[in-house]
Amino acid sequence: MIAHLDRKLLRDLKRLRGQAAAVSLVMACGLAMLIMARSLISSLEGTRAEYYQTNHFAEVFASLKRAPNHLADRIRALPGVATVQADLAVPVTLDLPGLDEPASGIVRSLPDFGEPELNRLFLRRGRWLSPGSRGEVLVGEAFAKANALNPGDTLTMLLNGRRQTFHLAGIVLSPEYIFESRPGAALPDNRTYGIFWMPYKEVATAWDLYGAFNHLAITLAPGAGERPVIAGVDRLLRPYGGLGAFGRKDHPSHIRVTDEIRVLTILSIGFPIVFLSVAAFMTNAVLTRLLSLQREQIAILKAFGFTNRQIVVHYLKFAFVMVLAGLGLGLLGGVALGQNLVVMYELFFKFPDLRFRLDGPAVAIALGVGLGTVTLGVLDAVRRAARLPPAEAMRPEPPANFRPSLIERTGIARLLSHSFRIAIRNLERRPAQALFTVAGLALATALLILPNSFKAGISEVLDFQWDVVQRQDVNLGLVEPSSARLAHELARLPGVTSLEPSRSAAVRVHFQGRSRQIGLRSLLPGGRHSRAVDRAGREISPPPHGVILSSKLADVLGAKIGDTLVLEALEGRRPFANVPLTALAEDFTGIAAYMDLHAINRFLGEGDVITGASLTLDLSRRAEFLAALKEIPRVSTVAIKETMRQAFRETTAQSMGVIQSIYLTFAVIVAFGVIYNNARISLAERARELATLRVVGMTQHEVGAVLVTELVILALLAVPLGLLMGTGLTTFIIGSVNTETIRLPLVFTTYTYAFAVVVVLIASTLSAFVVLRKLKHLDLIAALKAPE
Amino acid sequence: MSRLPAHFPLLNPPSPTPSNPPAARGAPVFHVRGLTKFYGEGATQVRALAGVDLDLHAGELVVLLGPSGSGKTTLLNQLGGLDIPTAGTLRYRDTDLTHATESELTLYRRESVGFVFQFYNLIPSLTARENVGLITEIADHPMPAEEALGMVGLSPRLDHFPAQLSGGEQQRVAIARAIAKRPAVLLCDEPTGALDVHTGIVVLEALERANRELGALTVIITHNAVMADMADRVIHFSDGRVLSEHRNATRALPATLRW
Repeated sequence: MIAHLDRKLLRDLKRLRGQAAAVSLVMACGLAMLIMARSLISSLEGTRAEYYQTNHFAEVFASLKRAPNHLADRIRALPGVATVQADLAVPVTLDLPGLDEPASGIVRSLPDFGEPELNRLFLRRGRWLSPGSRGEVLVGEAFAKANALNPGDTLTMLLNGRRQTFHLAGIVLSPEYIFESRPGAALPDNRTYGIFWMPYKEVATAWDLYGAFNHLAITLAPGAGERPVIAGVDRLLRPYGGLGAFGRKDHPSHIRVTDEIRVLTILSIGFPIVFLSVAAFMTNAVLTRLLSLQREQIAILKAFGFTNRQIVVHYLKFAFVMVLAGLGLGLLGGVALGQNLVVMYELFFKFPDLRFRLDGPAVAIALGVGLGTVTLGVLDAVRRAARLPPAEAMRPEPPANFRPSLIERTGIARLLSHSFRIAIRNLERRPAQALFTVAGLALATALLILPNSFKAGISEVLDFQWDVVQRQDVNLGLVEPSSARLAHELARLPGVTSLEPSRSAAVRVHFQGRSRQIGLRSLLPGGRHSRAVDRAGREISPPPHGVILSSKLADVLGAKIGDTLVLEALEGRRPFANVPLTALAEDFTGIAAYMDLHAINRFLGEGDVITGASLTLDLSRRAEFLAALKEIPRVSTVAIKETMRQAFRETTAQSMGVIQSIYLTFAVIVAFGVIYNNARISLAERARELATLRVVGMTQHEVGAVLVTELVILALLAVPLGLLMGTGLTTFIIGSVNTETIRLPLVFTTYTYAFAVVVVLIASTLSAFVVLRKLKHLDLIAALKAPE
Repeated sequence: MSRLPAHFPLLNPPSPTPSNPPAARGAPVFHVRGLTKFYGEGATQVRALAGVDLDLHAGELVVLLGPSGSGKTTLLNQLGGLDIPTAGTLRYRDTDLTHATESELTLYRRESVGFVFQFYNLIPSLTARENVGLITEIADHPMPAEEALGMVGLSPRLDHFPAQLSGGEQQRVAIARAIAKRPAVLLCDEPTGALDVHTGIVVLEALERANRELGALTVIITHNAVMADMADRVIHFSDGRVLSEHRNATRALPATLRW
């Protein structure tokens, strides 16, 4: 049996369903974002933690040139070390049918017998390698999927220059490669880069590494610190070409998932705050209106003995029903969004089983936050209404007090039409309502700036990376440093129109106690392929002595132009050098240091050596070039610009599509909802006034114009504000997701702004139109009978 | 004729005006025959007008008397083009209001009708001058808002907002708003219903003067029988039809009325 007061509540809700729905929808946007983000965080964190635990993901990692297997025992003996797994990681190129360019990747070794102790694989399809087998390989899922490989297929691989054919036994996942991508790449290119696993014996034989290892994975003893272990490992590996050990937090694949969790955390706080504030205000506006309409009803309830408390609760319930509806919608929306985003994550992150798990506490938080915000928004108004003495409440509200608006007091009153005056005086009389409508519309506008700006930023990164910085068509990497004479051989390949040699080396840059392990890349004086460019887009010519740093790296180190840095080579004879920082390069992916090719060679003291080359091609001879390239065994990696660009475009288009539609939906809901509620409330509050205008002979359009003028004024205030807010919000969000792995430039185009303005105006116009249609049903006679 | 033309009101002290003989007026402004209005349907159907026959002439001041629920407001709404009758004939001059469309009715109200309501219905966000100005903006040959407000004695209160005016003053603004467009018809629904006697008389004086000086057919509906004395013609209304009507030999001055 429903109490009679609750029955009244239901009927009031039914009457105000349009406005209640608008409030619930806006609230639902915030709660959906909260539920989605919190759930995704718990899905990602939970799935990752389980994956790491089940598959024994290591805690410390190190790469080195080569060390005898018995060194692993000395590392095992270091205090704080629990498990040590020594294995091999070597570069490989592949010749795939149907792919005219060579793919490349890494081959990792597995114990010849038995499972590895650490970083165990997860078998997705097919079978494990047969014990003691030869000629079998396991392939990472991302690469297998991108190239439609199945267990039983054969793969032709160039291992240390020797072409061999392998049988694909199974398709696997590894906790080391949740983010399976070329080192330093911002986005995966799974078609041309893959990870492979073979028995130790096979890899070691091909690379003459038998009895040695070049990669280490370590777990820590309970309670042991990571730092001393890393220091100990580095000390032991130094004579063997150790490239510096690092912990999980610096593991490239781990970092990518952590970065995503960080972005989700920002979303899970920022968005709900903004949406719920708007929703709380909308609730306040709807309820204030209801309270003034029901002034006499409240008086009667009180006259018959209902307590203030009962009345407060009655009206709070009204708000709570909207919260519950918002939560229901938000829950549905959050789950739908989350499931969509999980599909998107599958493009980037390879987990055995990443599923959207609805986070129970997130729903509870959403409920609490929703109820809390609307209570804050309406409690005061409800309490004031309930406290009114019945005798006073029985009388109609005193007539609204108006005065000439600020604008009119500036002396331009004569220029204003009557409907304009009505509009601005109404706005000035209810500044809070106007302010929040403006805020809501501005929010909608701002929301639309972000995704387009992201998209423009990504497109700029791609153009910058491949049209400004790297103007070559192909990058080649060599199996190991080779004599510069190899360059001449490569230059003679069919279709090559120009070639520039390159040299890269792993180094550690030190400055005043801070250091970073990075790739040192070569630049050629007067080179036309790889270049370094400063913030203003000017080419930086490599100094004969001195180093150029990514400006992000300089930031991280706290170094300025003119400071002296210490470069520590992590390969060869591991020399040290003091070099001045001569310029800062603007780059968006990864962090790097650049030096003159000859300066690098002088520094490393290995003579005139190259590790790769960049080429431009006569595109009509591309196929011929690629066929010839496959015959050169010393080439380990091939990166073709157009292929990578295409892959990036596809991946970003897919993920940006999802994100854009989310933001678009939210923006439209907010713009529509805010305008709808504002117009409905104006219409209800001023039904008598508007009906009077109709009675004295104004047409429906003329009366509509009075309402529309108000909305237009609000929109004119809100849209520029929204563009400003959107610019700020985008600057903040892009700034906060910028990392050492990827940085997006801030790009605001006319299109981005115009799109936001047009969408918000269309949504607002439609919304206003829906309300204005109600002017038709304005009851002219009833409005004349009595004041409310 | 010894009197000065009516538009020099200050030189003409108001005096009891003889009722004009109907024959002098020619065709009626309103021609009403068998006017019927039903509200609702089926069991809940209510008959508000039950076949009204009536002719109303230019310049007349007609008081429509009747108890509440007698249908007089319904009749006024039909005359004012706020509503459409269920059956019967309703003609305003050459226009058939019975079959007028929504936009024709709007145009009719805009050009020909001035309304005065019991609860004034002013726009709270506009001053007295602006409330009148709002209407003169859309009228064809309006008088200046200041002149209309002067006619109702509100010249000193031009720039006051409704909330700053007394009830009587608000009603006089409403009258100024109604007459500023020089309407052919002035329809007043209980114009003094919300006012005390003294204020009510000031309002009636304003109406009487507007009728006299502008020559608009003025229909005042009321349940206050005292007001019958100021009319040219008094129509008694009951149960949705005309019960009786009579003509006053002279119109009493509003100032002489007491209730």
